[in-house]
Amino acid sequence: MINLFEVARLLSAAGVDFVIVGGVAIRSHGGNYITEDLDICHSRSRDNLKRLANVLAPLNPRPRGIDANLPFIFDWSTLQHGTNFTFVTSMGDVDLLGEVKGLGGYDDLLKDSITIDLDGFPTHVLSIQGLINAKEAAARPKDEPGLKVLYALREAELNDD
Amino acid sequence: MNRSREEKLLNPKAGGRIEAAKEYGIDLTQIVENLRLSPAERIKRNDQAVNSILKFANAMKRAKADQKTSQHDKPIRSGSTP
Repeated sequence: MINLFEVARLLSAAGVDFVIVGGVAIRSHGGNYITEDLDICHSRSRDNLKRLANVLAPLNPRPRGIDANLPFIFDWSTLQHGTNFTFVTSMGDVDLLGEVKGLGGYDDLLKDSITIDLDGFPTHVLSIQGLINAKEAAARPKDEPGLKVLYALREAELNDD
Repeated sequence: MNRSREEKLLNPKAGGRIEAAKEYGIDLTQIVENLRLSPAERIKRNDQAVNSILKFANAMKRAKADQKTSQHDKPIRSGSTP
C-alpha cells in the first residue's frame, strides 16, 4: 500500500530537515494531481542524513530501476556519496533531492516554503511560486499539466479581482 | 471586492490562467473540492487515489493472466472422427 502521507509524517516526527517538492507539494496546495512518489529536498548535513536514513531504513529502500537482487546498503553514508536518489520503499517511491534545478538546495527552498500540519507535525512544502519556478527551470513536457494547475492556483490566490 | 478562490475557479476571468487551465482540460471542480480539505487531507486523498488505481491495475493483470491460462487449458480437438 502506498502511504506517502505517513512517510512525510514520519520524517517530520523524527526532526528531519526537508521540504516537500513535486507532485505531493502540488497536491497539498490543492492541485488535482495524482502522484506515486514523494519528492523531498533535504538538508545534507551529517546529522540530518543520519535522521533521514534512520526513518527510511525500516521501509527497505532500494534504488528504483535497478535489479532488486543486486546488493545495496542503505545508510547515511550512502546518502552522503550522492546528491539525488530515487528509491522504492515499502510505502511508495521516495525521491531524495540534495538540490532542485533552478532553485538550489534545502536552505534556498526553505526560504520559499510554507508550513503545513501533518497530524500534529509541522512540515515544509515548497510554495506555489517555488514549484512554478522549479517546473519552468526543468522544462519537461510531462510537467505541462502540473504547471497549468499551478498557474491556476496562483491566480486563485491573488487579490486582484 | 475580492472574489474568493472558489469563485475565481468556478467562474474564471476571461484571458486568465484559470480559464487557460480549464481550456487545457484541467477539471477545476476537483481543485475546488481539494481546496475545501486541509493540506494533510489532500495528501491522504492522493494516497487513496493511487491505491485505488493500483488495485485496478492488479485486477487487470490478474484478468489477463487468467485469460492466458484458460486459453492454455483448452482441450485440443482432433481433426477427424473415426
